[in-house]
Formats: sequence, structure tokens, C-alpha cells
Amino acid sequence: MSWLMQLFSRHRHYDDLTVSINEHLAERAEELMDGGTSRVEAEQTARREFGNLGLIEQRSREVWQWTTVESLLADVRFALRQLIKSPGFTVTAVATLALGIAVNATMFSMVSAFLLPHLPGRDPQNVVVVSSVNPDASFQADTNPVSPPNYLAWGNGRRIFSAVAAENENLTGSLSGSAQPPEAISYAAVSANYFSVFGVSPQLGRAFVAGEDEQGHDHVLILSHGLWERRFSSDPSIVGRSVRLNREDYVVAGVMPANFRLLGFSPQLWTPLTLTAADGTPSGRKNRYLYMFARLAPGVTLEQARAQINILAQQAQQNFPDTESRWGGSVRTLPDFLTHNFGIGNALALIMTVVGFVLLIACANVAGLLLTRAVGRQKELAVRMSLGASRVRVVRQLVTEGLVIALLGGGVGLFLTYIGIHLVRAGLSFNEGISAVPIRLDTNVLLFAALVSLVSAIVSSVAPALKASRTAINTDLKSESRGGTSGRAHNRLRVVLVGAEIAIALFLLIGSCLLIRGVYILDHQELGFNHDHLLTAGVVLDKARYIDSSKQNQFARSLVTQMQQLPGVKGAALASNLPASGLGRVSIHIKGQQESRSNEQHTAADVVVTSDYFQVVGVSMLSGRAFNDRDDATAPRVVLVNQEFVHKYFQDHDPVGKQIQLDIADAPSAWSEIVGVVGNVKTYSLDPLNEPQVYEFYVQRPVASFSVMLRSTVDPTSLTPALRHVVAQLDSELPLLRVMSMDGVVEAQRNGNPLFSRLLATFAVLALILSAIGIYGLIAYSVGQRTHEIGIRLALGAKPSDISRMILRQGFKVAAVGLATGFTMALPLPKVFDSIFQGLVHFSAPVIYPIVLAVMLMVVFCATLGPARRATRVDATTALRNE
Amino acid sequence: MLPYRLLVMAKDPERRDLFSGALDLMILHSLRLKPMHGYALVKHIKQASDDLLQIEEGSLYPALQRLLKEGLLESKEGISAKGRPTRIYRLTKSGARHLERELTSFEKMFTGITLVLAAAKV
Repeated sequence: MSWLMQLFSRHRHYDDLTVSINEHLAERAEELMDGGTSRVEAEQTARREFGNLGLIEQRSREVWQWTTVESLLADVRFALRQLIKSPGFTVTAVATLALGIAVNATMFSMVSAFLLPHLPGRDPQNVVVVSSVNPDASFQADTNPVSPPNYLAWGNGRRIFSAVAAENENLTGSLSGSAQPPEAISYAAVSANYFSVFGVSPQLGRAFVAGEDEQGHDHVLILSHGLWERRFSSDPSIVGRSVRLNREDYVVAGVMPANFRLLGFSPQLWTPLTLTAADGTPSGRKNRYLYMFARLAPGVTLEQARAQINILAQQAQQNFPDTESRWGGSVRTLPDFLTHNFGIGNALALIMTVVGFVLLIACANVAGLLLTRAVGRQKELAVRMSLGASRVRVVRQLVTEGLVIALLGGGVGLFLTYIGIHLVRAGLSFNEGISAVPIRLDTNVLLFAALVSLVSAIVSSVAPALKASRTAINTDLKSESRGGTSGRAHNRLRVVLVGAEIAIALFLLIGSCLLIRGVYILDHQELGFNHDHLLTAGVVLDKARYIDSSKQNQFARSLVTQMQQLPGVKGAALASNLPASGLGRVSIHIKGQQESRSNEQHTAADVVVTSDYFQVVGVSMLSGRAFNDRDDATAPRVVLVNQEFVHKYFQDHDPVGKQIQLDIADAPSAWSEIVGVVGNVKTYSLDPLNEPQVYEFYVQRPVASFSVMLRSTVDPTSLTPALRHVVAQLDSELPLLRVMSMDGVVEAQRNGNPLFSRLLATFAVLALILSAIGIYGLIAYSVGQRTHEIGIRLALGAKPSDISRMILRQGFKVAAVGLATGFTMALPLPKVFDSIFQGLVHFSAPVIYPIVLAVMLMVVFCATLGPARRATRVDATTALRNE
Repeated sequence: MLPYRLLVMAKDPERRDLFSGALDLMILHSLRLKPMHGYALVKHIKQASDDLLQIEEGSLYPALQRLLKEGLLESKEGISAKGRPTRIYRLTKSGARHLERELTSFEKMFTGITLVLAAAKV
């Protein structure tokens, strides 16, 4: 505690010290005066003998101080005073750094939300996700869900896992009753021990208990916090009450807390998962739909679990070559799996690199400003050093000033970050999964912002401070510096800084343009059908009312007929999946073609459609015929295939009349005849390539979950009420899912792409502006320094145009090195992007390089023009007199 | 003969360290004789050393503050010989004990050094 006492008592000591020293001086002076010296001389002598009064007093005081901290505080106070004295400099520097810090912190809020997610439960590091490895997938092949037989077999390795649970994610159901209109919700079916694997328990009620995952006992559900709040108004007595899901009554067992959220998974409620005996049979192996979560047994490492799963996957390959050949198994920790599965890592890494460069440019600008300022303060520094300040002390003072600027910048930057996060969140609401991810100004972001501020303080102030202190030592106090050698040394550093800024800006601009172009091409590619004037909606026929295929067929027929009669509707069709919105893949066999087992199996994307589909959606008929009324449920099965199918499996020979067989999990296998060929439609709107596709006829193979499509002559969304009315008339308890225009569907599939492009463009332009400010500052300053020289030139007969040419030339000389460097650095970028976003699109676009270079040159020209014109207005006589 | 400047200004911290023990010893010893203010202390040491030693002010005042902080000295308001207000430094009890210890060890060291130097003469 004594140090605390000292903190309060030391001002008394300071006063004591001053009194003692004053008395000392007075007594000595008097003594000298007694010896006959005059008062003035005596006082001067006394002082001279005493030595450096200020320094001695300071040394004596330092005894009482917590020296480093206190002198740091003094430095900070001094820096603040200095900064307040030159508001123009301060505002520019703080604003520049604030922008740099804000863009970094804002983007890091996404990193924090997506790559460092807050996971619920106990030691999420010990929870693993077991996945199948899809041999045919090019994107995230090792996050494929597993089949029930594999889940049952792999989970039995109790030596490696202490608990295992499965989740059938992404189910859609209808919630009805409770005096509200029926609502389509997404939900998940989970094993009874699902929540205990994560180590979480409901906020209200209880989790599922053993036995509830058996048929007959499975009509219980657990609500998510969001759904409980929204649809049940946070009713605390909800537990035990009955809720109508898919036209059946379920008892609410519990409500999960709001923080139970797995990144990318957003079910609104959970029901028990019931696995039947059929799920365990070999035919169940084709249905890979279960996410498998497991808790590692104590002492078991991730590597051991991986080795074990690999062995089990190999056993499955040997025992079930038909379905398991080439399929593998993979194990990842929960956090690793979620961030990997979310697949945002590459884009975020890229964006973070870009904002990192923007920050570098901002730092370079601030460093330039500090350098200029240091030149103006050379005399002050020289005075301080001659009065006994060591070089370290001066450097520390200057770095402190940089630190204060950076901290102010960080403060303002945090405010901008707060706004930035709101903007980003608004741009990231295109689907449930992503809008469920909370992007916040959390502790991670705060720490990151502080770190970035600190780093930028050091980056921007250390070099100028060292430089300034070195020149200060050498500066003669009397010199009326005209910006001789020392000024030129400062300039050299600034030239390097500005050159680097321009190089980075050009590099970023080229990179961003390449990426934006690539993303644009991907987003706006030809999809193979007309997506305007098309209204779509999803329907899921529940098993309670639509038990068999005839019921489903009947509903489908009435629905299409009634929809076609709506005013403003040109045609209506159903399809198991919307075009360009993803399809399931099936294995196919072609009659008369030999296939060896080891070779890649023939696969095709499979879609079930009604007869008018091709005409309604606008897919071109290339040969053969479409489905018609004669192809009924009892007639021989017929299919249509697309052009890519013909190209890949029939080497472009006409396939009409050929027989193929589709390997569909729960449908009897039968040979189908190809009756027609249609044009290619992208399986997914962002797929760069076309895939072989097979179209089945709804009448011959009805499905319970499908989409409706209405071709309209008016704005498609204006038909929504009419569509809802038609469906409600057929079945009042059946909700419609995602009613939206096809354009809207395609737009939504672009996901973060528009945001990604917008962010890239913003940051590239920011880099451009900052580097333009940098070169402007440099040239303007050097014109100011060269006023005298320009005056001489003018006096000796130089024309103003010569002067402005000279200044412009100086600007371009600085820029040229930077541009050349940036250009060279940008050359390998297309290859880098191609390898990051594998197989998506070719990023190479040589035309971008000269365009961006021309833009950059224009900007350099504009930034230099102002100072150059000012230089021509120098008045020779004033400049020469102005010493 | 110029008085030997006991301590040069603190440009050179090594030299300050080397002599700080001796300086403390002389300050404490002088103040045991009678409480004094700063200037009196300088004069006292100069006179007592027969003008051989002169304390550098740049060392005296920091040293006084250090001894105050360590509780070996205390200061109180007082009046100088010329009637001006000043601070009078006085040895505390713990200062007296410290001085005894230091004197003993200093004497031992001094004896040791003398012996070594005497041996070297032979």
C-alpha cells in the first residue's frame, strides 16, 4: 500500500524539493554577493554552478514516480496538446486510420461470427461430426451426410465414442392450429440423446428420453427459442401442451435456449428421429441423409477416431460394393466441421487480405503525414535534445503521438464498425441459416480492433520517429532550414511510401476487378430456361392425408388444372425441384452398354415433372416428344434426357428409343424408354458446368414434395393471393412454402455474392482514394518545399507550363515504380483465384489490366494536377524574398 | 587544488551507481551529527573533507529524495541560517541503524582495500 500513499503524498515532496532547491540557490548567491559579486551575476553563477535545474528537479521527482507509466502519461498529455494545436493534421490522420481500422474490424466481425462461432454445450472440441466422403463431389466432398446403416454400424464403436446421435436436418413441415394460418417451417428429426451429446439441456421442460425415438412414441417435439417466441408468444406454460405438426398432434416436451445454435443449421423445432428396420438394410445405404454427431470417449484422440472410421468405411466398401464403392468416411471436430461446412472461409480470407492492404495504405498515408510534421518540428526536437532529452526519449514521444492518433482512430473506427456491422448484417439476410448467425461487435472484434490500432500506430509512426530523431540530432539550432538535405531524406522515405501505396492500390484494383467480373459472370450465366414472369412455391404433401401415390397424383392434377384457369396465367406445371435450384443425383444403367464396377458409375441429376413443364418453364425440345396423357401410371415408363446426357453417355448419337434404368432408393427399379431430348438447364444457378439430367413423369412417379410454377402474363408475385386461394380450396391445412418469383429464387441463390462484390469494390475504391490522397499530399508538400527553387526557375525564364510539366513529371516518376510493381504483382492473380475457387469460373481476363492501369494513371494525373497548377502560380519575387 | 567532483552529472549512470553508496554514507553520517538543509550539507561535506570533495547538486537532491523514500531520512519545515524557509533533513531511527551497518561493512571493505594495496607495494 505504501506506493499508494506515495501517490498521494508525493506532491508535498515535490513542493519540499522546490523549496530546498530555491533556498540552496539563494544561499549560494548571497554567499557570492558577500564576496563582492553583484546580485545579478551572483544569481547567474549560483544557477550555473547548480547545473541543469530542470533536469535535477526531474531526476529527484522521478524517485517518487512510477517512472515509465507516468512519463508515458505525460507523453500522452503532451501528444494530445500537440494534436489539438494542429486540427487539420489530426483530423486527416485520425480519419484515415479510423477508416482503415473500421473496415478491418467490420470484416473481422464476420470472421468472429463464422469462423470462431460460439458453440453451445460442454467442450465442443470433444464433439465430432462423422461424415461420408462423396467420390463424385468436387465441392466439400467430405461433409456428405451418412446413411442409416453406416450411422448404426459406425456408432457402435463405443470404444471411440461415448455417445452418438444423428440428425435428419432440413425437413419441412406444416404447423397448424392455435388459431393462426398454417405455416411452413423447417425442422429436424434427431435421436433421443441428441442434446446430451452436445451437453445442452432445454431452457423449459425436458429433452427427449430413450424410447421416444421409436414409432408410436415419437409424437413429442422440442421448440427452438425463436419459434417459441414468435408463434407461441414465449408462453411459459407451453410444455405439455399439444401442437399440430403435419396434421398430427405432438406434445411439446421442452424449449431450447436461444444460444443453442449450430452454425448453418437452423431448425425451428426438433422431433425424435425414428429409424425403422428398413433403414438398416443394404438398400438404405443409398439414402445418405443423416448428420452424425458423436462425443469422443475419454482419452480417445481425433486421430484414433479417424483411423477407426476409415477402417469401418473400408469394410463397408468391401461388403457393399454396389452402394459403397469408393465412398469414404471422415471425422472433424464440431467447430471445424461447422466452419468448413459453411464454406465461407475462402471468401473471408480474401476479404481480410484486401482490408489488410487497405490498412497498410492508410498507415503509409499517416506515416507520410507524420514525416511532414516532423520536418516542421525539427527545431523543437533539436531544442529538446540539446536540453538533455535522449534520442530514445524523443522517439518514444513521437511514437506516443502515433499511438494517440491510432487510439483516437480506433475509437472513431469502432463507431464506424458499429455502423458497418449493421450494413453487413443487412446484406447477409438472404437465407435462414445465415441470418441466424449473430454478427456482433463482440469481445473478439474489440480485441482485434485494439490490436489493429496498436499495430497501425507502430507501423505508421516508428519509421518517421526514428528518421526525425536522427535528423534532429544533426540539425544546427541556428539553421534556418530551407529544406536542404534533411528535407530530401524525408522525401525519399515518403516517395517510397507513396510508391508502395500506389503499387498496393493497383494490385487491389486489378484483383477486385478480376473477382467481381468472375462473380458477375457466374451470377448472370445462361441458365437454359426463361426465369422471368414465373411464380414459384413449394408444397409438401404430408403422409397423414396423402398416404399413397394415387392421392398425390389426384391432388397434383387438380392443382395444375385449377392454376391454369387463373386469370393472368399462361400455363402451370409441377416439378420435384425448381430448375437451377439443385437436384438429387441417381445412378443410371443403360441397356446394352457394358460397365465395369471399378469405373466411375454413370450418374445423372433426376427431376420429376408434369407434362407441360418444358413449355411452361421454357426449356427447348430438341428431338422426340414431351410426356403426354398416354404415359399414365400403367403405361411403360418413359423419360426425357438433356443434351449433356446425350453427349456424355451416347456420344451425341440420338438416344430416342433407348432403355435406361434409374437407381432410386424407394422406387422399384424398372427400365424406362427415352422418348425425347431437351436443352440443358443448369442444375444449380451458380454451376459453371452442365450436368446430365433425366426427367421423369409425375404421373408415373409421384413425389410428396414438389414445387409449383406459374407462367404469367403479369407481374408474377401479383398472382400470390390467387395461388394461395386455389391451394386453400383444395386443402385448407396445407401451407405454401417460399412463394416467390423465379427471378427472386435465382437472386437468392447468389447468396453472399453481391455483398462480396460490393465489399470488394468498396475496399478497392477506398484503396484508390487513399493512395490518391497519398500522392497528392506528397506532391503538394514538395511543391511547398520547392517554392524557392521554382521562384529561381521562373526568374531565370522558365515558363509556367515548364513548371507544371516538371511537377507532373515528378508525380508520374513516383507513380511509375509503384504502378510497375503493382502490375507485376497482379500478374499471377487469375491463377491464384482459380486455385482458391476451384472449378467455379475462369478468372483470367487480360483486358482488365490495361483498363485498370489507365484508370490509375488518370487518378495520379488528377491528384498531381492541383499542386502542379499551384506551382505555376508561384510569384518569383515573393518566393525569392521569402526566406 | 580543485575539489574532487565527487559525482559528475548523471549522463553516465555507471559512475553514479559506483559512488552512490559512498554518497549515501556521507549524507547519513553528516546528518547524524546534526540535522541540516541541502546547501548546508554541501558545505559541510566540502569543509569536512578539507575541500577535497564537492557534492554535485545533480546527485545530492535525487539521493536525498531516495533516502526519504526509503525512510532513512525525514524532512520538516525549517529556517535556514539566513532566515529563509527551507527543509531540514534529519536521520530517522532506521536511518541510524542503516548507517551503522553500512559503516561496518564500509570499514571492512576499506581495510581490505588498504591491505591489498599495501601488499601490492612490496
